[in-house]
Amino acid sequence: MQLLEYALVNGILFGLFYGFIGIGLNLLFGVMRLVNLAHGDFVVFGGYLAYSLVTVFHVGSLWAIPLSIPLALLLGFVLYQVTVPRLKRSPDTETASLIAFFGVSQVLQAVATMIYGANQITLPSLGGPISIFGQSYPSSVVISASLSVPALGVLYLYLYRTRLGLATRAVMADEQEAIASGVRVRLVATSAFMIGIAFAAAAGTLSVFMLGGINPTSGSALTVTAFTVIIIGSLGNPLGTIVGGLLVGLASSLTQAYATEWTGMIPYALLLAVVLLRPSGLFGRKVRSV
Amino acid sequence: MLWGAVEMRLISKKVGVGLTALSFSIGGFAVFGSGPATGATSKTSSAGDTITVGTLYASTGAYATSSLPEYAGLKFWAKQVNAQGGMYVAPLKKKEKVKIVSYNDQSDPATATTLYDELLTQDKVNVLVADFGSVLTAPAITIAKDQKHLLFDVTGSGTSFFSSGANPYVVLTSLPVSAVWPKPVAALLTKLKTKRVAILYCQNDFDQAQATAIKGFLAKSGITPVYFQGVPTTQTDYSTLVQAIKATNPDAVLELGYPNNDIAFLNELKDTNLHFKFVLTPFFGQLPSLFAQDVGAKALDYTYTYAVPPTLTINTVNMGLGLTDFVKAFAPGNASSVNFLDVAGYNAGLAVQAAFDHATSMSQLGIRAGISAVSGKLQTLEGTFKVDKTGEQIGELLPVSQAFPSGKSFALKIVYPAIPSQVAMVNATPRYPAPTG
Repeated sequence: MQLLEYALVNGILFGLFYGFIGIGLNLLFGVMRLVNLAHGDFVVFGGYLAYSLVTVFHVGSLWAIPLSIPLALLLGFVLYQVTVPRLKRSPDTETASLIAFFGVSQVLQAVATMIYGANQITLPSLGGPISIFGQSYPSSVVISASLSVPALGVLYLYLYRTRLGLATRAVMADEQEAIASGVRVRLVATSAFMIGIAFAAAAGTLSVFMLGGINPTSGSALTVTAFTVIIIGSLGNPLGTIVGGLLVGLASSLTQAYATEWTGMIPYALLLAVVLLRPSGLFGRKVRSV
Repeated sequence: MLWGAVEMRLISKKVGVGLTALSFSIGGFAVFGSGPATGATSKTSSAGDTITVGTLYASTGAYATSSLPEYAGLKFWAKQVNAQGGMYVAPLKKKEKVKIVSYNDQSDPATATTLYDELLTQDKVNVLVADFGSVLTAPAITIAKDQKHLLFDVTGSGTSFFSSGANPYVVLTSLPVSAVWPKPVAALLTKLKTKRVAILYCQNDFDQAQATAIKGFLAKSGITPVYFQGVPTTQTDYSTLVQAIKATNPDAVLELGYPNNDIAFLNELKDTNLHFKFVLTPFFGQLPSLFAQDVGAKALDYTYTYAVPPTLTINTVNMGLGLTDFVKAFAPGNASSVNFLDVAGYNAGLAVQAAFDHATSMSQLGIRAGISAVSGKLQTLEGTFKVDKTGEQIGELLPVSQAFPSGKSFALKIVYPAIPSQVAMVNATPRYPAPTG
């Protein structure tokens, strides 16, 4: 019973983190129909940025999050200007973006290897274990998961309480209708791209704790996890991403506890089941009725 | 216009294609930078004026941490040999220079398969030296057998490589097969009177063979593991796993993985303040500096591992440098940076050198005959080099070591021998149960 309790709490903690990782990817896809295969590498970029801030400038690990955001926004802006307008001119944006971001992923991995080497890097622990329902959880995991909640809240406020957020949702629903309604799509897309990369970088600091360390190629697995989360929860739906993250987190944690040898397979079996039974994802219908 | 289900399916299909592409990327699919590292590749025949040694290394991916030092050790050997005018090639009755021809497999077995083949068919190397570990060696085993080409397997100790009958084309140079590794661990656990043993292993040839073997060894002492589970080699989240292990109340916990797994596992123990009486991970002994950096020296106190050079200091040799001289020459003024994989790469070079030194002809079987001639007689910085007819290394067996506090760091000391001749190397008594705090 204690193990079940631990697995459930741990699954929720990791689920929130997975949702945090997926949300930036979903924003990019929802607004621009870009398939960002470099998403996990942007997360890892954030992790390395935090590592540099901690080891070179002796900044506290958590301070690395707000400090990395302006840099990530800048990177997002530059990358948007260089890539997205060209990709949008392609007759098949999704396929073109898929190939382009695969290249970006490889470049980011190569650069990380050149700068940081191939070894795993870690950050100092955030303190002693934290007790939840009488069981000990690593403080780094609890704090990381806890930070995911306000981050997701900020995105919610942006989407549902700001004019730019309203415009973003309009573009996510239908770009042509948004243009016809006078929405400045380029501004919306630029903002969404920058925010998506910033979210990835912020999640990156946490990923060093949640994954027990990162290396230059950790991003590839994170991209797969992020895609799994957003496909389960529905492409283009931020709420679905959070639910998808929780489902993946709980499935992983419960299989670790009770069916260890299935650990690597269950999240993807879940993905397969969702795609076969509800191809538009768990929240797909809701998106169409917005 | 709102999204339709058909559009959604089409997009999902494209994302699926992307994920497939990404799965190649996860394995390190070589899009960039897999060209030979030596510039123009030599196409010397076996009777040319240079002996070409073809090898792979991984500059990125899960195995880069171990592959790069191994590659550095092999290159160091070639540099040393060439500085002495080359190595003696018995069939030619003269010395020849050595040239390493190498490609970057980026930790991806599929890429490695293509590149091993390229080394043989395009570069026509004289002998092959495998990349690090069982996962990246496995493709070379098949190719070596099919193409009847000699493969020097440095650290690919997967039992299956040597269990399918005699294969004269594979020689394991640095480690015993993985099923042999845990024999002294099982003996130590029996001696310590542990009754409840938990084994968590990664699902690959190397770790799975160790796990199965130790289960067998323990069974002979009447011990049945209270926890025996496998996880994917990509596993880095050990949070629930360690709780599942804790729930079985074990005396000893053996986590059998690769460096990234071991580091993540030990960090999980540290972060949750979980303490077991006996914890063993295999790669701590091979990469102690990396573990100290990523886990913290204090958290490693009293952790067990396999003892390998430089912890195992062997200076009585009849080929190449003894360990102390190797460390001085390999990393002048930075002895602590030298790890086992540097030694393993160098030792593989020595095996190649010994093979040519005693080869009966320049054919692959002629070079292999050179290995048979020196087997059991060759003494290197890794101990007695001895292979059986399957190519399995049976000489360089690994004792068990434990980390003891030493100032702000730790010292790895040998606490249990693998063979009687190692008894003299034991320099500490195992501390069991491991003290807390």
